[in-house]
Amino acid sequence: MDTMIKTENLRYEYSVTYEEKGKNVTKKIVALDNINIEIEKGSFVAVLGHNGSGKSTLAKHINALVRPTSGTLWINGYDTKNDEFIWDIRQSAGMVFQNPDNQIVATIVEEDVAFGPENLGIEPDEIRRRVDSAIATVHMEDFKRSVPSKLSGGQKQRIAIAGVLAMQPECIVLDEPTAMLDPEGRKDVINTITRLNKEKGLTTVLITHYMDETVGADRIIVIDDGHIVMDGSPREVLVQVEKMKSFGLEVPQVTEIAYNLRKKGIDIPADILTPEEMVGAICRLKSAI
Amino acid sequence: MSIEISHLTHLYNQGTAMERKALDDVNITINDGEFVAFIGHTGSGKSTLIQHLNALIKPTSGKILLDGEDINADKTKLKAIRQKVGLVFQYPEHQLFEMTVFKDVCYGPKNMGLSEEEVKNAAEKALSLVGLDQSFYDKSPFELSGGQKRRVAIAGILAMNPRVLVLDEPTAGVDPRGRDEILGAIDHMHKETGITVILVSHSMEDVAKFADRIVVMNNGHVALTGTPKEVFSHVSELEEMGLAAPQTSYVMKGLKDSGLNVPQDVYTVDEATDVLYELLKQVTK
Repeated sequence: MDTMIKTENLRYEYSVTYEEKGKNVTKKIVALDNINIEIEKGSFVAVLGHNGSGKSTLAKHINALVRPTSGTLWINGYDTKNDEFIWDIRQSAGMVFQNPDNQIVATIVEEDVAFGPENLGIEPDEIRRRVDSAIATVHMEDFKRSVPSKLSGGQKQRIAIAGVLAMQPECIVLDEPTAMLDPEGRKDVINTITRLNKEKGLTTVLITHYMDETVGADRIIVIDDGHIVMDGSPREVLVQVEKMKSFGLEVPQVTEIAYNLRKKGIDIPADILTPEEMVGAICRLKSAI
Repeated sequence: MSIEISHLTHLYNQGTAMERKALDDVNITINDGEFVAFIGHTGSGKSTLIQHLNALIKPTSGKILLDGEDINADKTKLKAIRQKVGLVFQYPEHQLFEMTVFKDVCYGPKNMGLSEEEVKNAAEKALSLVGLDQSFYDKSPFELSGGQKRRVAIAGILAMNPRVLVLDEPTAGVDPRGRDEILGAIDHMHKETGITVILVSHSMEDVAKFADRIVVMNNGHVALTGTPKEVFSHVSELEEMGLAAPQTSYVMKGLKDSGLNVPQDVYTVDEATDVLYELLKQVTK
């Protein structure tokens, strides 16, 4: 498998200055330290960690919005420290942020989606093709000529995703794209992301605080205080209930129920991640009686 | 403090081509000391409704009665009403601005014209209600975690000693530990002071755990209202409205569909653990 993202001893630090007892004090903060990861092309990786753990800082490294203090990050083979490649880097990895209202720039949906390719200096005919195809991909054809402010939160995020797709990146990084959405909006966005990953092979990095959104990922990386502390498949990571809680995280409700039942001596599998799996496991146990 | 919302209708851009009915003849009574949650899809009218509660926006028609008094009847009383009904907006930590946590919480009571001693007492009490002890007083709000920052912002409102606390999605974008801290603080504060709490949330799990009563908004109307058990028994209607039920209720429904006799009104991890333990205890290791 080819590598999409690779880091080697990545470290990021910054300093903050604040007043203490009338004097200015400068403190160095290490946001990321000794990060070594390799993400395969076409994979779906969820990144978890509490607020301030460093996960958003890592995401911003992927398209060179932030660059390592030391160590290296390569995206699609490009070293993000190299200014020469900045456009190739930004085109390789598109980002979607938490608040849909902060990332929509135009007054008509299709113009908003065209904003990225226009700035890449692409021919108008090609822009037209890309915009139509991106809007179709996120199933928003009926809203092409709509005013973005009239759309629901989930629809706005799908437009933001279409805007990224129109730049034809190989990788998409989503930083808590569902934090401000209602349950349907969340489902809508997660289904869109999952489908793009499966059908188009788009490498996906999803940062989230909702554990049930990570169940469909190929891999979960947990970051705590700037370090990678867990890395594995959802089944490997999410069953470690105590460990997840120690990092200020949680697990899906059904996984926690399975954990509780096992503690009480019930012989139910620990790696239950969805309501369907829970129902199946209970029915098998009942029929064995 | 009781709130009576009577025939409340709100039109945005009234009389223009952009006119839109955000609230349509809404009638809700909230009793003194109740913990009520509002749920509804984006654009259902929840935020418009709660901004009416302290007269930030005015009804197109209808009334809001606070302990029987129409809050829009007398403009000179608005300041008193806004002190009685404290509103915590989305992302309230963006409104923190002072150098220290303690100073930030003092800002509200100071502006109410209280004496220095009274301001200090109010701030101390508010911070203790949200579970932040003295070690936080001299910290910069920017040194705190997401959950801690939000709790400071909530304390800033509590310090003005409101009788009703309204919170608009107080846990959006906060990690699970921060979310538990914030909701735990709200629950503790509610039990301790008996103040009326109105919580707007997109998390069905949180609402099921804390609220006495749930009001479901849909397209500017009240679609359902009742205890969590009553409201979440309407799973298919909730889904049609772009909502959901807590994950546990899907497990219970799946078990029932497979022919197992289990209660359907199970909405928290602890309840589900107990129910399933009873069901499975014959098969202990």
